[in-house]
Amino acid sequence: MLASPKAEGHRRARRWWPWALLAPGLVWLIGLYLLPLLALVPLSLSEPVSRFGLDTVFRWRLANYGEVLGAYGPVLLRSFGFALVSTGLGLLLAYPLAYGIRFRGGRWQPLLIGLVVLPSLTSYLVRAIGWTSLLGDNGPVLGLITALGLTDLGNGLGLLRDGRLLNTPTAVVLGLTSNQLPFLVLPLVVAMQRIDRRLLEAAADLHAGGLRRFRLVVWPLSRPGLASALLLSLIPAAGDVVNPLFLGGPNERMVGNTIENLLLVQLQAPRAAALALVLMALISLAVVLQLRTGGLDDLALP
Amino acid sequence: MISPIHGSSPRISPRGRRRFLRQLGLAAAGTLVTPPLLQSCRGGGGGADAPGAGGELVISTFPLYIDGDEPGAPGSVARFRADTGIQVRYLEDINDMRQFFARIQPDLAAGRPISQDLLVLTSWLAERLIGLGWLDPLPLAEVPNARNLIPSLRDPSWDPQGRYSLPWQSGIAGIAYNIKATGRELTGVDDLFDPALKGRVSALLEMRDTMGLLMLGDGKDISQPSWDAAQPSFDRLEKARRDGQIRRFTGNDYQNDLLAGNLAACIGWSGDVAQLSLDDPDLRFLVPESGGVLWADVMLMPKGARHQEAVARWLNWVYDPVEAARIAAAVQYISPVEGVQEILAQDPATAELARSPLMFPDAGMQSRLKVFGPLSETEEARWEERFARITEG
Amino acid sequence: MNRIGGWLLGLASVLAFALLYAPIVVMVLFSFNAPRGRFNLVWQGFTLANWRQPLADAALTQAFLASLALALAAAVLAVLLGGLMALALGRVRLRGGRAIALLLALPLTNPEIVLATALLNLFVDLNLPRGPLTLLLSHSLFCLSYAALTLKARLAGFDPSLELAAQDLGAPPLAAFRRVTLPLLAPGLLAAGLLSFSLSFDDYVISSFTAGETVTLPLYLAGAFQREISPQIQVLSTLVLLVSGVLLILATPRSSGSGRR
Repeated sequence: MLASPKAEGHRRARRWWPWALLAPGLVWLIGLYLLPLLALVPLSLSEPVSRFGLDTVFRWRLANYGEVLGAYGPVLLRSFGFALVSTGLGLLLAYPLAYGIRFRGGRWQPLLIGLVVLPSLTSYLVRAIGWTSLLGDNGPVLGLITALGLTDLGNGLGLLRDGRLLNTPTAVVLGLTSNQLPFLVLPLVVAMQRIDRRLLEAAADLHAGGLRRFRLVVWPLSRPGLASALLLSLIPAAGDVVNPLFLGGPNERMVGNTIENLLLVQLQAPRAAALALVLMALISLAVVLQLRTGGLDDLALP
Repeated sequence: MISPIHGSSPRISPRGRRRFLRQLGLAAAGTLVTPPLLQSCRGGGGGADAPGAGGELVISTFPLYIDGDEPGAPGSVARFRADTGIQVRYLEDINDMRQFFARIQPDLAAGRPISQDLLVLTSWLAERLIGLGWLDPLPLAEVPNARNLIPSLRDPSWDPQGRYSLPWQSGIAGIAYNIKATGRELTGVDDLFDPALKGRVSALLEMRDTMGLLMLGDGKDISQPSWDAAQPSFDRLEKARRDGQIRRFTGNDYQNDLLAGNLAACIGWSGDVAQLSLDDPDLRFLVPESGGVLWADVMLMPKGARHQEAVARWLNWVYDPVEAARIAAAVQYISPVEGVQEILAQDPATAELARSPLMFPDAGMQSRLKVFGPLSETEEARWEERFARITEG
Repeated sequence: MNRIGGWLLGLASVLAFALLYAPIVVMVLFSFNAPRGRFNLVWQGFTLANWRQPLADAALTQAFLASLALALAAAVLAVLLGGLMALALGRVRLRGGRAIALLLALPLTNPEIVLATALLNLFVDLNLPRGPLTLLLSHSLFCLSYAALTLKARLAGFDPSLELAAQDLGAPPLAAFRRVTLPLLAPGLLAAGLLSFSLSFDDYVISSFTAGETVTLPLYLAGAFQREISPQIQVLSTLVLLVSGVLLILATPRSSGSGRR
């Protein structure tokens, strides 16, 4: 093959061909993503010229960050709190479900995966509206809790607030968990599909019990899937706007709502940019931690 | 006068409008030939060529703020189209006025015309737009019916010579409540902070309405709102939010919570609650003794509007007392057009509306209503920021 | 031990599906509700009337069609751009290849709201009026990464020597690509397209910043929550669910092989 002059020609062609293929996508990524994102940096250090104009002057105004963190730090913390809790809760359900689909699903496996994905094909606003009907003060969930006499317990555990469910942290976390479940299950299933059954059989031959087989084979080999599941769930959850808006109250606002308000209502683009960059920095921290365990481009995608 | 089509058929129309609206379609029909539906449909093609129409009139406004089309009874937009041959794009796309401002701001700030010819916005935003020079004066010389404007809205504070704005409707921010949920009649602003209603109260995201009502409750003057005088009300609101007394801050969406039983009491708007109480007779609207906030939504022409002639036709048409009466009966706010009350009183179907103090404030009500005065640009920024920290923090 | 494990497995799965499907059940149920007033949020009584007129809410239908068109266009664009990138990255070791792969993956790590902020700021700076064009640009961008990475993953499991073999047998590169690579890639292209489509169809945050006067379905729904929730919302959503469900079942047998790997 090396001797073939034709192959040689192809090889030379291959030097610029890849770049030609990459070019349009790169234009998109650089023009619509990288540059606008970088442009947020100077904007976040600027000052609006007038309140209703759009012009800003760059002034190295680091104070924007201090002001934003001072005013909205608790919201930022809350956002990550909600994201962590909903992801944790989701993992508790998603991991066994993924395991069940992979090792007990048999020929139903593709269908089960489909059933996990299906709800996310309906608009998440419609799902949020559905939750408001379910969790409302006169809704069935609260009705059930009352009928079982669990109201006081719920209040005591902080799950209910004054006997309410809608517009509480519980409702927001439930909504987030429901939204993120498919993003948790899919990477886990994909990772587990890469586990060779023969490994498990071999372990069984060596008289490893169920728990040991899980600990020694399934768990370590599903870890990459776990890592990408965490990222794919945490990131959108932390930046969510819809669930806190529909299912939360003013004490459940998340950072996405704040950025939207700063930008569109308070008309404080520099502060909005500062808060967005802080959010991104914190997320990047999580991503860097992930990068140390596995490559970012190895994210198992559905 | 009631035709068989409208009758009192209990069928709820797809758009979910109330029976009542259909009946009232006829309230004014005595003096007006209702054009057949077909004709109003045809208006689509004919409009652009009609003499003097000059293309399509684009209006941006709040949702459900006019009588809509009902089977057999075209709404005002369709009838205007049929009457004048002018094609209208009637966009009910303003859900949050401040977000709407953010949407039109880039073009208007750069001196470019926007696609709308007419905007319906609240007076404080009108004042801001006038100050920024982003409006054209209304073609009032070609709007003879403008003389029907009620005296109390002439020379308003937001537009001293009345050159840029003509009121669409005005209304009252007060307290809406569900008597079944509260278990008692409410009497004032303090009831919103009653521990018995904890977590079942909401306030409006519209700062001037929420703060205005609270400040009036604290005995403060809102016609010249001062930052210092507002602090106790801000503090009270902030504490109520932290304690969980206030469940949500809302736009128009307090309505679904009120109907679903998630709210016992809330700050709301008079016309909304009047319309809702047709669905739920337990709903009440209270203008506290301490005062309610009177606001006005006004029609404005953005700078460079392309169809000024059509705007004049529209303004003149909606200021015809007969048309205005129809609109008022549908939305149940305070009509700015003189003669509406008399027209509604003549028809048995709407006579009750003509007696409503929320639509036609009598002297007693009038004395309780206060308008939230102007805030300077820097003052407003300060107010908005504190308010946002309470609603979004 | 194993029995307890099995129980826990079952319990978690049931809970997970309950959480996934609870709002869906409400949605389907309320498509048969006869609401009182304009908010279809409280159960009043069973009716088929809404289903007889699924398109009765003209504004909703229009928003639905707008979203459909946008999602199709965005998916095609994203798969096209992303597919080209995946081909280049997946088959050749490039200097800077890792950096490009990182650039591709980075948008996945942004909360949508950050991207929305950046894009709005860009369009304002460029004086680009917000509307269908800006929507398409932003949607194709956030779909691009998903599409490219999905396709790259498929290409990684694909043996390049097949194409080389075809070339060695005298097929010109383009023909080799069309005859060999493309058919092998087809399922991946479909998966990437569907993923892009559903992401775009459901996007609210970025659209709310970049839509201008255009009303997509999620934007319409957010507005509807303020003024009236017509039962047609639930009817149309249920229809979408049915269609996707049927597509899913149709697609299942073909991919069932993967289950027995």
